[in-house]
Amino acid sequence: MGRWEVMVGNKAIAYAAKLARVQFISAYPITPQTSVVEYLAEMVASGELDAEFVNVEGELTAQTAALGASAAGARAFTATSGPGLLYMHHPMHATSGGRFPVVMAVIHRSVKGMQPDHSDMMAQRDTGWIMLECENSQELLDTGIMAFKIAEDERVRLPTIFAGDGYILSYTAEPVEIPSQEDVDAFLPPYRSSYPLLPGLAEEARRVQMEQWGIGQDPQLRWRRQQEAMEAAKMVIMEVNEEFYKWFGRRYGNGLVEEYRCDDVEAFIVAMGTIASTARTAIDRLQAKGRRIGLVKLKSFRPFPSEEFRRLGAMVRAIGVIDRNISLGSGGITFQEIRSSLYDLEERPRILGFHAGLSGKEVRVGDIEMICEKTLRAAKGEGPPSLVEWI
Amino acid sequence: MSRPIPLHELGDKEYIDPANQACQGCGGAIVSRLVSKALGEGFVRAEVACCGPAFMNIRAPSIYVEVFEGAGALMTGISRGLKRIGREDVVVMGIIGDGGTVDIGFQGLSAAAERNENILWVCYDNEAYMNTGGQKSGATTLYAATTTTPIGEYSRGKLERRKNVPLLMAMQGAPYVATASVAFPEDLLGKLIHAKGIKGFRYIHVSSPCPTGWGYDPKDTIKVARGMVQSGLWPLYEVSDGILRLNYKPRELKPVREVLKMQGRFRHLNDEEIDRIQREVDTFWRRLVAKDGGEIF
Ligand SMILES: Cc1ncc(C[n+]2csc(CCOP(=O)(O)OP(=O)(O)O)c2C)c(N)n1
Ligand code: SF4
Ligand SMILES: [Mg+2]
Repeated sequence: MGRWEVMVGNKAIAYAAKLARVQFISAYPITPQTSVVEYLAEMVASGELDAEFVNVEGELTAQTAALGASAAGARAFTATSGPGLLYMHHPMHATSGGRFPVVMAVIHRSVKGMQPDHSDMMAQRDTGWIMLECENSQELLDTGIMAFKIAEDERVRLPTIFAGDGYILSYTAEPVEIPSQEDVDAFLPPYRSSYPLLPGLAEEARRVQMEQWGIGQDPQLRWRRQQEAMEAAKMVIMEVNEEFYKWFGRRYGNGLVEEYRCDDVEAFIVAMGTIASTARTAIDRLQAKGRRIGLVKLKSFRPFPSEEFRRLGAMVRAIGVIDRNISLGSGGITFQEIRSSLYDLEERPRILGFHAGLSGKEVRVGDIEMICEKTLRAAKGEGPPSLVEWI
Repeated sequence: MSRPIPLHELGDKEYIDPANQACQGCGGAIVSRLVSKALGEGFVRAEVACCGPAFMNIRAPSIYVEVFEGAGALMTGISRGLKRIGREDVVVMGIIGDGGTVDIGFQGLSAAAERNENILWVCYDNEAYMNTGGQKSGATTLYAATTTTPIGEYSRGKLERRKNVPLLMAMQGAPYVATASVAFPEDLLGKLIHAKGIKGFRYIHVSSPCPTGWGYDPKDTIKVARGMVQSGLWPLYEVSDGILRLNYKPRELKPVREVLKMQGRFRHLNDEEIDRIQREVDTFWRRLVAKDGGEIF
């Protein structure tokens, strides 16, 4: 049995790492991540957690050292925010390229200013990491535990981020259920690398290394293998989400997306992270007034659940996508990806894009109601065929 | 302190495959052979961008990571990870270029030394970014011509002195720091075997001439390397727990001119420039001799 505690999001993240019995932690402070590694430092200092805790001299080292520990065969964890994540960008490619199942918590901080948005993680979009977004502290703790199981699955072997909005989650206290260690141990067995960097395994290590380097074979092969692993991860994420439910009684949609009140709707909106929480209230209010609009929470940004959006898109006439990010010179990133997922549908819904919450700009229930109303008008064929709007 | 070990004492067995992709006469390739011979079976090798991947013929399990600046971090992680899986017996070693050591990798090097990570850092020093075609590094000798410090009407080669990273590591309190040269294999092997037996941060900086970048005939690698040591351009010493010992102490140093003139990168030097290098070498040598056998600070 678990127990309940009122805690901030950063503590929930630290609990995830502790319950996963991480063996290696690289720590470097940055707001709003800092207290994650402080909590872990205390857990190690008190003997609650038995792990290598390395105070590194920067995030580049935090990432590269986690990679090294994972290569050696240890379960490795690190955490960062905003500029720290940008500083990790270079080794992040190496972590995924080497297929090292490092798990990292990202506590979002904008790349412009200290407040949250998703620009830090979106700048890592193509690094080959699995990226799972969370809406509240319970989801951070649960996803953190699931992240190790997903990352270490032999069908996947990819590093995994679990993320939540800084401040809104990192420093806000709410009740969280902490699963018991015995249950987590049963759910998540110790990590055993199939390719530890050890003498005596030279042949195998070399073979894997050669594949990583693309030597003596199709140079594109390692890209292809990684993409195949990403595709396989979709199934693994769904499986792990279900298994987690069996053990702990909680699940997050199907692991990839979560539908909220989407039965018999003519439109839905899409949101990631804490905005999804605000959106739930907006949807409740509007459905109480008879509006037929639901919410789809995007949980797995990478791998991107295109199939899910094709299935969901076929059921509605309009979709409003909220992006807490922008690819400058192009547009909202999830907006574009959802739009492209729908291309093969015979009858495509209208799709609207909204930029909201960048650099921590507050997103209110009223803002989301307005987004919903616009999306509903589009479902009725009113308004411009497509729209991109700043909230 | 170390004791010189002749190659034959280590038996016939080699720990590298017969061929590699290095240029003829590559000093770095000699370092790989000697390192693998000294460490034998029980080590793993970390590697970042440099000419090093050309010496991939070391048979030990290797990890190559395309993070040029990350050698210190990578070795830190491997060492801590191996400790966690109960394999502290395995030596974590990196053969890292001078660029990856004294320049872009310096932050990670210095921090790994501060944490006293249980790793063996072997810097093979060819005094430039050779893998990218011979650009200046923080280890390039004063006045040397490189592709980014070329000789021209307005340029006399590299205008800065080289960084003295072995002494910096010693000042950080690393348990074992040594310089070495490919021309003195007994000395290098002795230092490697001594380092192998120590726990904590170990740093061996090996002068590894590069015929391609330095502009001399590949058959002369050992001759050039030996000249560097005999002239005091590259003194051999070690620092164990703060005590310095000179490992090669000739009665008289050879003039630097001779060894400089063997190398194309110094062909342009005038007498005044050679004199300045000579003065600096003399001063450093005098200070080293004064410290020999004593505390470095
Ligand atoms: C971040 C980064 N910057 C630059 C490079 C290009 N690069 C590859 S090897 C190298 C030089 C390496 O120099 P050194 O460490 O002295 O080793 P050497 O090539 O001389 O053996 C450079 C600049 C790179 N691979 N990565
Ligand atoms: S360029 Fe120099 S260091 Fe690099 S392989 Fe050739 S000889 Fe060796
Ligand atoms: Mg070099």
